[in-house]
Amino acid sequence: MKPLLDAAYRTAYRLSGNAGDAEDLVQEAALLAWRGYGSFEAGTNFRAWFFRILTNAFYSRYRRTRREGQAVELEEVPELYLWRQSSAAGLNDVLQDPATALLARLEGEEVNAAIAALPEEYRVVAALYFVDDLPYQEIADTLGVPIGTVRSRLHRARRQLQRALWETAVERGLVPARPAGEVRGD
Amino acid sequence: MTDSLTCRQAFDRLEDFLDRELAAEETILVRAHLEVCAQCAAEFHFEQRLLDGVRARLARIQVPADLAERIGRALEQAGNT
Repeated sequence: MKPLLDAAYRTAYRLSGNAGDAEDLVQEAALLAWRGYGSFEAGTNFRAWFFRILTNAFYSRYRRTRREGQAVELEEVPELYLWRQSSAAGLNDVLQDPATALLARLEGEEVNAAIAALPEEYRVVAALYFVDDLPYQEIADTLGVPIGTVRSRLHRARRQLQRALWETAVERGLVPARPAGEVRGD
Repeated sequence: MTDSLTCRQAFDRLEDFLDRELAAEETILVRAHLEVCAQCAAEFHFEQRLLDGVRARLARIQVPADLAERIGRALEQAGNT
């Protein structure tokens, strides 16, 4: 049970943004699971069931106006955004592993902030994906949405995250700023 | 499907490939393309390293050592009420 609770805590931390709320969320989910264990179908995925309780607890605590089917649309970010920015800045020519080098220049909290800044629909999927490395189907089962929804939200969340990471690096002067027009969007 | 992929076809499978969501036969096709296309191989490698790096950063959250015990106590208290 400990690995499950630890994984749930890390996800709850990503969802809520702080340690106190993360522990409260996991505790609430554990209580709800304990009381509602009769609704768990033997032979199905217990982890997905527990994480569904956790994410629902998050929604009921922090989401005041949840409306299914009204996902926020993110602005489209060109594919390979970070690769292309890094290439335009000349980093790909001089660094053997530019992605790792770029991340190494950023503080952990800056990566956290980039995820935290995602709209809620995308942040929840990103938390389950990046923190727990869950397969798409398990994320879909956890959230009770079609696998295609998981795929499309992740697709946009990844690109948004790439742009946020690059902009943070530029703001901090870690990489040279380039005019946005220099990044191809094809 | 043909027995080899164009760069665009390979790229369209990038995310599923990185996430191990591609069918086995498609995974083989992507791997075959990456072996002969240095540009796509570099892009795929960049995306893989970025994904690994973000995951590593996010995994650093410290879980309270006594989390399970505290939750266990909370469940016991709830059971007594």
